[in-house]
Amino acid sequence: MKQVKPPRAAFLNFPLGHQCGNPGDIDLQTNILKDSLNILTTASIPGEVKDLTYEWGRSFDWSDYMKGIEEMLNEENAPIQL
Amino acid sequence: MKPIEYVTSLNKYYQSQGFPPYKWSEFETSSWTPFDKSLQESRIALISSAGVFKKDQDPFDAWAVNDLSFRQISTDTPYDSLKLHHNYFDHRDAVKDLNCVFPIQRFQELEKAGVIGSLAPIAITLGMGRLYKRTALQTETVPEIIDILQNQNSDAVFLVAA
Repeated sequence: MKQVKPPRAAFLNFPLGHQCGNPGDIDLQTNILKDSLNILTTASIPGEVKDLTYEWGRSFDWSDYMKGIEEMLNEENAPIQL
Repeated sequence: MKPIEYVTSLNKYYQSQGFPPYKWSEFETSSWTPFDKSLQESRIALISSAGVFKKDQDPFDAWAVNDLSFRQISTDTPYDSLKLHHNYFDHRDAVKDLNCVFPIQRFQELEKAGVIGSLAPIAITLGMGRLYKRTALQTETVPEIIDILQNQNSDAVFLVAA
């Protein structure tokens, strides 16, 4: 995102697929949206990415990302084509 | 968790399969329009690239390559009429609750609570997947989307890059 430089941006350090929070957690999702929306009126540096402070709370790395997709495809009997 | 270097890792992964290096978009500068309105008087348009569509629309290909299409979704569409096709991320949580990547219900609530002035009546969704036609995206797809955004008097766009 830092390379693309959208005018105003928020970064939430959650795994892909959770850009606006966890499923069913309405409070978290709402707060993430509010914090992100506030950047619209408070940002002053074009291209700056604001880090949101919410934490995923457990380890997650590239191998977990790949493993998650593999598990999902197995569960759904979907073809692997990544 | 430490931030995942998706760009670096995906490049390594695809090159190990014999693909040439993927050319990610990079920009030296960022366009900037001062925003003078308050959120409470602003109309916000929602865009998500998580492969969400209405059941009566042409579904996205979950393994899309060079898909330059987009869908228009009325923001009063019943939640149960929406689906998600996107296999480039683990979508199991997002399928349980589409608001994880397409926060339509949260935005409806923010509008009702007066946090934002209004939610633009049409949201835009894309599937995209692996995209090797950036020029076509910029010269064909994006102008069409901008037309829709301007026609509904959007003040700003909330883009969820999924």
